[in-house]
Amino acid sequence: MIKTSTQNELIQYVYNELADDACEQLELALTQDLELAESCSDLLMMQQLLDGAAKAPHQRAIDNILNYSKSLSLQS
Amino acid sequence: MNTNTQLSDSALISLYIAGKESAFEQLVNRHKNKVYTTIYLIVKDSYTAEDLLQDAFIKAIHTMKSGRYNEEGKFSSWICRIAHNLAIDHFRKEKRSPMITLEDGSNVFNNMSFSEDSAESLQIKEDTHARLRELIQTLPQTQREVLMMRHYAEMSFQEIADATGVSINTALGRMRYALINLRKKMLNNNIAYDKNLYSE
Repeated sequence: MIKTSTQNELIQYVYNELADDACEQLELALTQDLELAESCSDLLMMQQLLDGAAKAPHQRAIDNILNYSKSLSLQS
Repeated sequence: MNTNTQLSDSALISLYIAGKESAFEQLVNRHKNKVYTTIYLIVKDSYTAEDLLQDAFIKAIHTMKSGRYNEEGKFSSWICRIAHNLAIDHFRKEKRSPMITLEDGSNVFNNMSFSEDSAESLQIKEDTHARLRELIQTLPQTQREVLMMRHYAEMSFQEIADATGVSINTALGRMRYALINLRKKMLNNNIAYDKNLYSE
């Protein structure tokens, strides 16, 4: 059973928000605790899936934004 | 020739305010997908999301060009917060019930490269990502909010805690449950969860 505090640290770890000293301790624990290592692996997998689930707008929407900005520059 | 490729957001903003339009183009291209996804996950309609994406960046343009941009925070958090607020406002005005739009998937990965994948694995990825977006909608609101703020708006957990009026441990707990619940939902729905499909 992984402690809640450790699970929270794991979340901070995979999002690069864990302090360096805590990071070192957690990485050591990951080499010794299979359950923790599997939890970390699952979190990283979900991160990767969420990255892939990001959607891209059509280029026309981007062109509209850039053209609007340019039109303001021309006016000033 | 483009010389702004490696510049920070802050440097690009300074160049843009000084009149260099190409710096703004870099900024928009760097953040467009996260901003768009932040909006899309709330309004669930591609066309509305693109309209609001434009509104968000137009607000940003006016703020930066008028010298009112506050450089204290990260640009990505700031623009995603503008987008988030616009999407919520739109949602309230429309008074629509949450509705999951089915996707044809034709433009989902239009700027991503999967050239080494087979047609079959591409389709599996596409289906998985579309289903994942649907499953995000089914999370409890507090979990969905933290997930979107951290993963797509790139706010830190402390920033999320401050913005939502909870402790950082609560924000972390909500994120943890969001990810655990998403994984469970994927497994329960027999959605592809093959690590080999997503390896670099």
